Amino acid sequence: MPPICPYCSTTFDAVDKLKTHIIAEHGAEPLPRPEGLIDLMVNGERYELQVEPNVTLYTVIHDRLGLTGVKMFCDRGACGSCTVIMNGRPVLSCMTLAIECDSATIETAEGIAAAKHPLIETYVKHHCMQCGYCTPGFVVTAKALLDRNPNPTEEEIREALSGNLCRCGTYPQHPKAVAEAAKLLQGGEGGTR
Amino acid sequence: MNKDDRERIIAPEHTLRADKYPLEDYSAIGRRGVRRKDGYEKATGYAVYTTDVQLPGQLMLRILTCPYPHARIKSMDTSKAAALPGVRALLRYDDPELPERADVSGHFGGGTEGHEPVLNRVGYWQGMPMAVAVAADTEDIANEALGLVEIDWEERPFNLDQEEALKPGAPLSNPESFPDGNFVIPAQQREAKVVWGNPDEGFKEADRIIEWRMRKDKENWVGPERPNGLFRWNGEYPEVWLKHQRPHLSKRQIARFFKIPVSQVTVHCLYQGGTFGGWSQMALNMQPNMIAGILSKRTGKPVKWQFTRREDFCGAGMDNARYQVKVGFKNDGVITAVAATSCFARKGFAHLGHFVENTRVHHLLQESNGAVLNIMPGSAFRCEQNMNALCLGAVLNRVAEALEMDPTEVALKNDGVEGRPMADLADLKRAHGFGGDRDSLKECIEVGKKAIEWGGKWHLPGTKRLPNGKLHGMGFTFTHEWSDSSGSGALGMRIERDDGSARILAQRCDNGCAAETAYCQIAADELGFRYEDVHYRQFEEAGFTTMTPDSSTNLTVNGYAIRNAARQLRQKILEIATTPRIPERPDMGYYPPFPDYKPEDLDIKDGVVYVKKDPSKRMTMAELVRPAFFMGKMDIGSTEPLFAWGWQNQQGAFMGTPGPRPIFVRQAHFVEVEVDPETGDIEVTKVVNANDVGKAVNPEGVEGQQYGGSVMGISRARAEDTIYCPATGVVLNGNLIDYKINTMLDCGPIDTIIIETGMGYGPYGSVGIGEDVATVLPSAYYAAVHNAIGAWVDMPTTPDRVLKALGRL
Repeated sequence: MPPICPYCSTTFDAVDKLKTHIIAEHGAEPLPRPEGLIDLMVNGERYELQVEPNVTLYTVIHDRLGLTGVKMFCDRGACGSCTVIMNGRPVLSCMTLAIECDSATIETAEGIAAAKHPLIETYVKHHCMQCGYCTPGFVVTAKALLDRNPNPTEEEIREALSGNLCRCGTYPQHPKAVAEAAKLLQGGEGGTR
Repeated sequence: MNKDDRERIIAPEHTLRADKYPLEDYSAIGRRGVRRKDGYEKATGYAVYTTDVQLPGQLMLRILTCPYPHARIKSMDTSKAAALPGVRALLRYDDPELPERADVSGHFGGGTEGHEPVLNRVGYWQGMPMAVAVAADTEDIANEALGLVEIDWEERPFNLDQEEALKPGAPLSNPESFPDGNFVIPAQQREAKVVWGNPDEGFKEADRIIEWRMRKDKENWVGPERPNGLFRWNGEYPEVWLKHQRPHLSKRQIARFFKIPVSQVTVHCLYQGGTFGGWSQMALNMQPNMIAGILSKRTGKPVKWQFTRREDFCGAGMDNARYQVKVGFKNDGVITAVAATSCFARKGFAHLGHFVENTRVHHLLQESNGAVLNIMPGSAFRCEQNMNALCLGAVLNRVAEALEMDPTEVALKNDGVEGRPMADLADLKRAHGFGGDRDSLKECIEVGKKAIEWGGKWHLPGTKRLPNGKLHGMGFTFTHEWSDSSGSGALGMRIERDDGSARILAQRCDNGCAAETAYCQIAADELGFRYEDVHYRQFEEAGFTTMTPDSSTNLTVNGYAIRNAARQLRQKILEIATTPRIPERPDMGYYPPFPDYKPEDLDIKDGVVYVKKDPSKRMTMAELVRPAFFMGKMDIGSTEPLFAWGWQNQQGAFMGTPGPRPIFVRQAHFVEVEVDPETGDIEVTKVVNANDVGKAVNPEGVEGQQYGGSVMGISRARAEDTIYCPATGVVLNGNLIDYKINTMLDCGPIDTIIIETGMGYGPYGSVGIGEDVATVLPSAYYAAVHNAIGAWVDMPTTPDRVLKALGRL
């Protein structure tokens, strides 16, 4: 394969010619980012990751970063178990291509816990889990709700969480936990947001 | 072995009596607000499920699934697939290492279901994993390789409907295993026809007789964590991560399959992302694990497999069945005979069992005709009592309708045990160690009616239209509580020398709601410890069988095992507190902490050992156990380790078999609905669960099961059905967009009521609840819809069925 200029993709028949070209044409310009390299800020940590174009955000977060709070349940954006907060909005990580997430800021349930958000303890207190598989997805969705609506009504909570499926049927417990977390946040207790 | 242990071995009826050892004071048991042991892990995402496990160098396994409902492979060319870069191993149905047939059922199943070709050349339902498996560097490569397999298929005629399949001339659904026809007897009964009493006599006694047909369709289990596993050969022996309800049985099965000693198989059992029975009992449950094992051995690499959600949807659902029911009854509501014939797609479960176990109806005829079909195997999905509960609820409510009676009255008139009225059973209750004065069903109905305002709201069917134009309905059903039947459990318990806390060492046992928390509550009260000082330590080896063989009977078996271990451990603590540790060396100054007392002089409360008559003489557990470790300056443990192991084996009433354990506890459920006559849409506006659980060890766990059971019960009764294309035999709604399960907006308020009569056979008079509500509630919903529109609608009550029943379609 002939040498290719990493800046402008011009091809050369010798490496020396490429070197001369780069010094003359591009000088001290920083190298362009290779294709597939993305920057993610996940739970406050910065990651630089090389990803294939067909890899989902779920796979990157779960398999590569080892954050098991994202869960694969439905396989196709129907259940909310893989929800993360990206740039302030809840998104389904199984339906999001990682390569499209360059420069994104992402929060997972682990990050919400590390920030000592009161939702974690209110979820434990109100038994919002049975098998627990879908629970982190609910916590993330609830956190996104409280970020944009600090004092939601029960109806608003139910509507916000209606995209998250729970086969164990823990639904009636979640509004209590979210409402209590909202109250704790309003009272200035229970950690940071 | 003490006397109690011996008694438990030689006298299985030991557990037929009520709990003989209730505690005088409960502290952790029954207390609300104890912090769940698994709560933080699960809320934060740190809880690890089998699907989360990855090993370095692991390969991904994919198995071909049958694209047709019934087809045989004439020829198969896998050369292109094997040559694809990244493919590390390929296994074909004609591989010489594969046995002709093997038990890959995950349930030590008897008969054909338990012995199948590991990779079959014939597919018997669309989606059946078969013929060829590929292990590759990535899942994408494995999928691509499967796409390169060239197959010449011979499509065969197929059956999707049991009644059609049993007609003369119907094609054979499985000529290899059932060459004589499609008829099978139920999997869990020995005979197709079972008679109690004299049904002819019963019908003669009746003032009236009614008959009807009804059906129950095929809901899917939809376990959140898809079926998966990871298999790694450590040189000679395997290490396996199983998502499985019965990992201890699977471990034996793996040993048998690979012809290795069972003691050399290591099985890891982690948190289970939903089980509910489901896949755990289907015919090919262990198939992917065995294939992964073979290919792991061949490649020297870990092999992981995971079904897609669609594959999962095609693999296992609950039985579906049609019923012809005939009931005779007196004008006062007393039922004199029931005869019901089912026609089911295997596997086939009992349908009149609950009449035996908890009614006074003496004359019963249960006939079950099963058909082998070309649809996914039937599986017990929360749970096999579905048919029993459905038939009881339907009979009760049909009789009430015919007599224009309140169904709660009909229930009370027919409540009983094995043909005897409940009112006559006070002596039987006493004989089994219960007080005899409490009437569980009466109590459940009384509080349930009050909570749903039954008195003011119930009406005759089809007679109430609300101001919003909708039709109003109230439904009720009842049955007994179960989940206290046969099972076995074993576990260890030890005291940490550093801080005197207690640890339960047991296989991960997370089925149900807060199960491990409940076990810690029991251990705390039995030891005399604070709940906070008792921990459940997952003991990874699936040897301590804390998930009972069918996973239906956890608390009521394992609770005994916990108690058994805790009592032994408590006794050891008291003995150590009063015994010189090295009597031969008094010069070492090692005297007992309570030198002048005997074990019976001491007690333990809140983790403090003290003299009963002089509580000022006290020592915390931490103080008591530490000297055993730090004896002067010598760093030795001078006492035996504070360890005990406990176990429980028991038999129980089962599947309508008149058993030695008459069941006195009941549950009653109430549902209120509004039906839109224009659209056929049904809104559930209120649910009330009144469950007599005997004794609630973890009340929030009980409520969790009531909530969860109600949500799942309404979901399956209103919407859930696996739909096959009649022309192609392919599943049409095998995903969570087309197969609807309830969301948070689909369930109205649920009022949970716990009743504690202490009349269960589990520890402290408890019974289980995990299987109950989801299984029983659909009958109350079914009755509520009828009460609203005045016509019976088969479940799931989809809008088209409702509109048809209303004559609008």
